[in-house]
Amino acid sequence: MHELGLTKNIIAIVTEHAKGCKVKRVSLSVGPQACVETRALEFCFDIVAAGTVAENATLEILPASGDTFLIKEFETEEAA
Amino acid sequence: MCGTCGCSDTANAVKITDLSTGATQTMRKGSILNTLEADYDHHSHEHHAHDHHDHDEEHHQHDGDGQPHMHGPTGEIISLETAILQKNDQIAERNRGWFEGRGVLALNLVSSPGAGKTTLLEATIKALKNDVGISVIEGDQMTTNDAERIRDAGAKAIQINTGAGCHLEADMISDAVKTLDPDTGSILFIENVGNLVCPAMFDLGEHMKVAIISTTEGEDKPLKYPHMFQASELVIVNKMDLAPHVDFDEKVCLENIKSVNPNADILLLSAKSNDGMAQWLNYLKNQLNG
Repeated sequence: MHELGLTKNIIAIVTEHAKGCKVKRVSLSVGPQACVETRALEFCFDIVAAGTVAENATLEILPASGDTFLIKEFETEEAA
Repeated sequence: MCGTCGCSDTANAVKITDLSTGATQTMRKGSILNTLEADYDHHSHEHHAHDHHDHDEEHHQHDGDGQPHMHGPTGEIISLETAILQKNDQIAERNRGWFEGRGVLALNLVSSPGAGKTTLLEATIKALKNDVGISVIEGDQMTTNDAERIRDAGAKAIQINTGAGCHLEADMISDAVKTLDPDTGSILFIENVGNLVCPAMFDLGEHMKVAIISTTEGEDKPLKYPHMFQASELVIVNKMDLAPHVDFDEKVCLENIKSVNPNADILLLSAKSNDGMAQWLNYLKNQLNG
């Protein structure tokens, strides 16, 4: 229900930690009780990522338990 | 409709009104989540270890670089394990500690609009006000009508108007309790915005969520909005006085609640006719003493 705002959070957190490196993959852990519609996240991701270090990055959604809703990790194109 | 969705109108600021003085202050514009990028604290950020998740990749750290990471085929894989709602959750945990330290029982009341949250609170305040201190945080998009009803019933009340927002967030509660200043051993009711969807996702630091449904809404609300009923420890079925007039099937309703949350406590009552209110008042006293 809040997927656009959540995606903005995800991009903001990744951007901060990427320290300017280009990001090619972002992996989330999402549990069934997280109240998150993963298809809506995927829909929003490309739009929100455009113009950021995560532009054209792939979004990977990994199943998790309970209400887990985390950015598990992200991968940069080259070492920092 | 809400700031967190990214579709809020920034002109709709969150307002907090203290009913004892009539003073209104504007708290913030837009959602806490949308301000994250601007005020994210680079220095105090800690990597968040989530209970539900283990990670076993090999991490190592370089000097002067706080992030665990490992080298992939071309770049680096940076492990974050960062909760996406971490900012709200951190403030909620701070609220929870504040409530526990003070001995305040904080209950987050959630329901659809019109289920009878405010009427239930009025009846509760009238019944308990000589025995237990009660204060109320009222959440609505607009108007101070509900907080006025609570004040007239005899309790301290703060109105939070969320403007475009569809739920309360932890920082709103943190601000409101500073003004409300609930006493040790008292009950703080947080009447969330009438909405069975978004409030399930936002921890406010409450002791527990209480979901309220009414007989006029039909028996299948728990099936239609399972997240909210899974997040609530107690479910109150209100307006039982109307049950015979609206063909309410009590058995089916109880089965539906149990099917989405087998551990939920359930109370059937009518805040208007007072039937079943004694059980609710006892429940509150037990929670307060437990």
